[in-house]
Amino acid sequence: MSRNQHLLRWLPWAILSCVGWGIYGFLAKVGSAGVNATDMQILFTIGTFPLIAFFLFRRSGLGSDNKGRIIGTLIGVLAGLGGIAFFAAMERGKASLVGPTTSLFPLITVILARFALRERLNRVQMIGILLALVSAGLLAM
Amino acid sequence: MTWLVYSLIVVFFWGIVGVFQKLGANHSTPDSLMVWTTIGYVNLLPFLFTGSHLTTLPPMAIAVGLLAGFANGLGAWFLLIALNKGATASVAVPFTALYPLLTIVLAITFLGERLTRTQALGISLALTAAVLLSYEKEVPKAI
Repeated sequence: MSRNQHLLRWLPWAILSCVGWGIYGFLAKVGSAGVNATDMQILFTIGTFPLIAFFLFRRSGLGSDNKGRIIGTLIGVLAGLGGIAFFAAMERGKASLVGPTTSLFPLITVILARFALRERLNRVQMIGILLALVSAGLLAM
Repeated sequence: MTWLVYSLIVVFFWGIVGVFQKLGANHSTPDSLMVWTTIGYVNLLPFLFTGSHLTTLPPMAIAVGLLAGFANGLGAWFLLIALNKGATASVAVPFTALYPLLTIVLAITFLGERLTRTQALGISLALTAAVLLSYEKEVPKAI
């Protein structure tokens, strides 16, 4: 398979992923104008059910061991708590500021992974950390 | 500036989620991790329903909230498909870190949001930072 054919196989899906998450950010802002953050999180959770039902129906959603189930549930609790804060931020600030600021979350991931998982930071990530801190400073001005 | 405080809380929680996703990748298929993540969301519901005003909300507001959850799920699912179609995580994951671009375009177009030059510069750097931070040479394999 040529490089272009390979790219054409996955790039449209990656673009669609950006579209999904981009629309999510926009709808979070629109919704948060009239709905409080905890109610938005309730609706958000129910909104994910059709997709999860599809995964369960085609049995692709069953491949976890016990540790995977616990970790997955923990991810949901933590992501949900973050989600409530996300809707609260959207209620109070511009979507065009909250969206990019909250997308800096890998900053915490790479730093924690460095200590908790002993992963090494690569140079690209180090530059990313620096830029993230500068950008946070600028957005706070 | 309270939006910034809440945004930093988001960065904190979602940042920890990233570490657990790395840990979970060796114990779960990506689809299954999404299922159990939703079960985690469901665990929060009893607490969230306390003091909820859901029953008094207009149908349009409810629809927007539901669609937000659905759109987020689709975003995650499409990334999994891209990875299944042969995308390397070190390219596809940083690429999808650009997702706030569409939020910005939609917010400026439909909500009339305007940005100062400093904010625009901050956003550009934040998006660049998100892409760079998401770059990994090796990613743990799912079972």
